[in-house]
Amino acid sequence: METYFLKNEDILRFYALVARDYELYVPVKAETKLKVDCDYQFKLPTVDYRVESYPKVDKEKIVFSEYRSFEPIRSFFTRAKEKVADYFDPSADNGTERPLAICGVKNCDLFSLKIQDFVFLGGEEPDPIYKKRRETALIISSDCPSFKEVCFCLAFDIPPHVSEGFDINLSPLDDGYLLDFASEKAKKVAATLKDILVKAESRQLHLRNIRRDAVVKRLKEHLSHHQIPKKEALQEIVVSGLDSPVWKEQMQTCVECGGCVFMCDTCHCFLLSDEPIGTGNQRVRSWDGCLYKNFTRVAGGANPLKMRYMRLRNRYLKKFDFFITNIGFQACCGCGRCIDVCPGKIDIRYILRKLYEEKHLSAH
Amino acid sequence: MKKNIYQPIEAVIEDVRQETAAIKTFVFKPKSPFSFRTGQFIELTVPGFGEAPFTPSSDPAIAEKLEVTIMKAGKVTAVLHNMKKGDVVGIRGPYGKGYPLDKFKGKDILIVGGGVGLAPLRSFLYALFADIDKYNKIILRYGSRTSNDIVYKDIIPEWSKKKKVDIMTTVDMGDPAWKGNVGLVTTILNDLPLDLKKAVGVVCGPPIMMKFVTLKLLELGFKPQDIYLSMEKNMSCGLGKCGHCRLGKFYVCKDGPVFAYEDIKNMHDIWD
Repeated sequence: METYFLKNEDILRFYALVARDYELYVPVKAETKLKVDCDYQFKLPTVDYRVESYPKVDKEKIVFSEYRSFEPIRSFFTRAKEKVADYFDPSADNGTERPLAICGVKNCDLFSLKIQDFVFLGGEEPDPIYKKRRETALIISSDCPSFKEVCFCLAFDIPPHVSEGFDINLSPLDDGYLLDFASEKAKKVAATLKDILVKAESRQLHLRNIRRDAVVKRLKEHLSHHQIPKKEALQEIVVSGLDSPVWKEQMQTCVECGGCVFMCDTCHCFLLSDEPIGTGNQRVRSWDGCLYKNFTRVAGGANPLKMRYMRLRNRYLKKFDFFITNIGFQACCGCGRCIDVCPGKIDIRYILRKLYEEKHLSAH
Repeated sequence: MKKNIYQPIEAVIEDVRQETAAIKTFVFKPKSPFSFRTGQFIELTVPGFGEAPFTPSSDPAIAEKLEVTIMKAGKVTAVLHNMKKGDVVGIRGPYGKGYPLDKFKGKDILIVGGGVGLAPLRSFLYALFADIDKYNKIILRYGSRTSNDIVYKDIIPEWSKKKKVDIMTTVDMGDPAWKGNVGLVTTILNDLPLDLKKAVGVVCGPPIMMKFVTLKLLELGFKPQDIYLSMEKNMSCGLGKCGHCRLGKFYVCKDGPVFAYEDIKNMHDIWD
């Protein structure tokens, strides 16, 4: 890995150069209502970030995002709704898309991409649309110098800075950024930036480590208030907690908006449907969510997940039983987007803690 | 060019046979040869309306035509039931693993069907008939609600004439014209002419029927690994990606739709 230093005043040139070859997305500050405040004196930021199209955004508004954006990274690789086939013309495809470059990607997002890759690249046959976007994309990740109240990546041993799965990574220093160029794609970009990059000094690398450690320490302290079970316990507590009262209790405030599944970084479910277009028809893939009533309904009306609590439980079984059995790790990266978005204040940290307590700390 | 996994191939309806008031068998001729293994399923497109999963009921040895027996049950099947000879549909697949024929060699094969659940079993029977010397005995027990709900009325008598084949049917509710057994399919599972030491059970029907047939077979002494069930879920993509048909650690579409009871018996909601 090659690490370089880039001065603050050159960051826009970096973006401009990347944007020559890629469809670039960059973080900007966003005012959202997604705020979960601390109930103790930790003074965590509540600002949000969204990732916007570089050519369309006012360049002065581009910022370094201190934590993950509110949209999940998967939205770049499978769109909420998009055409996936025309029938019956096999020559038709989705046309040519410019390769994506996504800035503001965080380590939680990179963890989630492993799940998306397993689903859309693995199995019997890869999804051709996902595969093309994924293979050509330039992932520009960055360290998290801060975190939101809802962030809990570290509870599952996912640190708030990257170690793999990115092309270029940005670590903020006071006067600029350290840039890691990890992939061949990234090295090509580095070659075009020669005049504004200087080799990183060991003092700068050392400073980065100090900063990373400081965020980890602060996040640990924050998470100690939530007592989230360790990742090694997740499968056991969810499987043994089938009859837990927590499912019904938490679903009392669910309004079935689907926010948790659509904001989720690791959720991947979709529905294929057909629509007439012109004289023919097209097949459309839309994100779907297992908290919706008809998610498992079969023709004739039978539905194994009739009740809301069954659907919540099913979601946890998918994330913490199905995925751990099939790929060895949970389908939750601790990004906290589901907590942020939920109007019913349903909190995954609370549910997991309850399940753990019922399994291990109950009187019996 | 890369294959588009979501794209159906074109097929023309060559014939439609009315089986019962709510069930029809469609004969499709795909534009290009389409082969499947018995027990695998397809996604059938009704243009402009969408897809639904079905297991073909025809002989898997025939690649140029495909028969699917379909009950009118939902949105897609309602439109399909109004379609006629010459109309165009789409086909994707085949998906899933199908019946593990290798494991059935030398066995006494008990096949228990309920209602339209006989459809996939018909294709399974053809696959067995094609290699009949490999199997010891084929016993079919079929139940439907009334005598008007029996599918393949003209074909079942022909199967009965085949060597090594023993068939019995029953209806839940009798009528004056019905001379056969009256009672649920579990009532014709006693005194089966088979050797339990080398018997396997293959069951397909509504979930409630599969549940009680499974319990009956266990009571008779069948081992959980020798009972094969067709699990019903709302498969959409067919490739283990869309997430709809999860059954415990499996996806019905890619790991099934046929499962040994042994592999799913500890899951909490398999009969729902």
